[in-house]
Amino acid sequence: MSINKVNIWELAESYLAGSLPQQDVAQLNDRLKTDAVFAAEFNDAVNLIRAATDSGKHKRFRSMVQDISMQQKDAPKAEKKARHILLTPQLWRTAAVAATVAIFTSTVTFWSLKPSLNKTESKYNRISREVTGLKAEQARQLARQKQLEQDLADQAKKSLQPTSDVKTTGTGFALTNNGYFVTAYHVIHDENGYGDSVYIQNSNGQYFKASLVTFDADADVAIMKVNKGGFRFGKGELPYSFPQSKAGLGTHIFTLGYPSEDITYSEGYISSRNGYDGNAMQYTLELPAGHGQSGSPLIDNKGNILGLLTAVGSQLEEKTYAVSTKAIVSLLHKLPDEKKVKLPKTAHIARMSREEQIEKMEAYTVSVKVYKKN
Amino acid sequence: MQSPTTTEQELLAALANGQRVATEQIYRQNYHIVSGWLVKNGGSASDADDLFQEAMVILYSKAQDEEFRLTCSVGTYLFAISKHLWYKKLHRQSREPVALYDNTATDEDERTGIAYEDDINAHEEREAHYQQLDAALDQLGEPCRSILRAYYHQDKSMQEIAADFGYTNPDNAKTQKYKCLARLRKIFNAM
Repeated sequence: MSINKVNIWELAESYLAGSLPQQDVAQLNDRLKTDAVFAAEFNDAVNLIRAATDSGKHKRFRSMVQDISMQQKDAPKAEKKARHILLTPQLWRTAAVAATVAIFTSTVTFWSLKPSLNKTESKYNRISREVTGLKAEQARQLARQKQLEQDLADQAKKSLQPTSDVKTTGTGFALTNNGYFVTAYHVIHDENGYGDSVYIQNSNGQYFKASLVTFDADADVAIMKVNKGGFRFGKGELPYSFPQSKAGLGTHIFTLGYPSEDITYSEGYISSRNGYDGNAMQYTLELPAGHGQSGSPLIDNKGNILGLLTAVGSQLEEKTYAVSTKAIVSLLHKLPDEKKVKLPKTAHIARMSREEQIEKMEAYTVSVKVYKKN
Repeated sequence: MQSPTTTEQELLAALANGQRVATEQIYRQNYHIVSGWLVKNGGSASDADDLFQEAMVILYSKAQDEEFRLTCSVGTYLFAISKHLWYKKLHRQSREPVALYDNTATDEDERTGIAYEDDINAHEEREAHYQQLDAALDQLGEPCRSILRAYYHQDKSMQEIAADFGYTNPDNAKTQKYKCLARLRKIFNAM
């Protein structure tokens, strides 16, 4: 059976159930790596099925608790005696076995099949913001997980148990007024896989759900679209443009991003034409940036978008790195014709004061929030 | 003989699986502590029911994680979560700042008030997400709505569904289910 011939829902379903044969899993992994449009669609299908399943389980549990609550009220006097009812040992055993099965099936899910991109090095910190303490917890879980999964395929090693919904936040900015925007790929996909859902929050505090259109994991660029029909970032055309030529050394730049709930401005200059480790698709910047600012636009004085922030250096060398606009443009070129995205050509804010530029930019710069069970 | 901790872990594992006997036991063992506290703090009996049900659902979500099951004291957790839920409710009603960090319940483990707040927030986000999914489901036409509800909400097998909905075999019902999922996604994503 070739996975390419199977209905994507059936594929996602058997994938979540862990019933996909090994060779199909390998095939699927290959396709997820190479076909970004398919990967986005598959991820969407997996998330929807998982949400429907979880939501159903929650409903059944909730109605059971309601039922128990009613029953307790009907028999308030039996409460004291009933207090010490214990399950029989036999029932316990079934419970434990069932629990183990549940652990196995739920871990062989999406995270386990996406190989880690493992690009992050110690000197190079991705600047999405995560809930504190998460890393340590992940490490602990990972250790436990490995033990549970030793008979499973090697790929399963990275998988984690759902604990609670964890948020990664980053920044994104509009590519078109009708909902296309760009952010850093690592904001929506970290070493544990994709988030369950991605929302953007605009400067007015409104949330909108978004889905992945395409991505380039190596360049750390993800192109997404707000799902809502008729959505607009702002009133007019986009205020900035996307030149493809590389900006010169010393170019003054500024950025807007969401290191916290509030939009934040910072400025600096291009300190090297190439990025981390001589990466020609990046710039090195002298620009203060912090967690949550991944995916922030890099803008010059004339309102040209030069790139998006991707990472900061180690504490010793406070450098910031940005992916150049070229990576965004070449990614857009790869989209199928029916999904073509046209970038704005003129920067309306070219001659404005910085304060005015920022004001115009605000509506098009959004906070990207990723929810997931880690 | 099982040590008490093992029992509690197993109890939680059973609860995480949605087993009634275990859930009932946990409910019974903890309800009166919470309702007693609540009545002393300005709540009514029906507040206690609602609050405790919510706390149980949060416990259910958390108990899906094995790490949590190993370290959690059920009574402590339910009591602390209930308190935080109540503070939060009062806070919302009065709009006055309320001290949310009650450390009395955290002696046994290292969870702080913030962690309970996180669990409650995660719970509320999850519920909102499910509600959105339900709303999308409501907009689906028939037979899709009923098929997806039967499969996901009522946990029916594809065999049962094929029989109930008059499909000649489970495979046909499955094909229909996949079509329904595709439609659901369209509606859900457009929300």
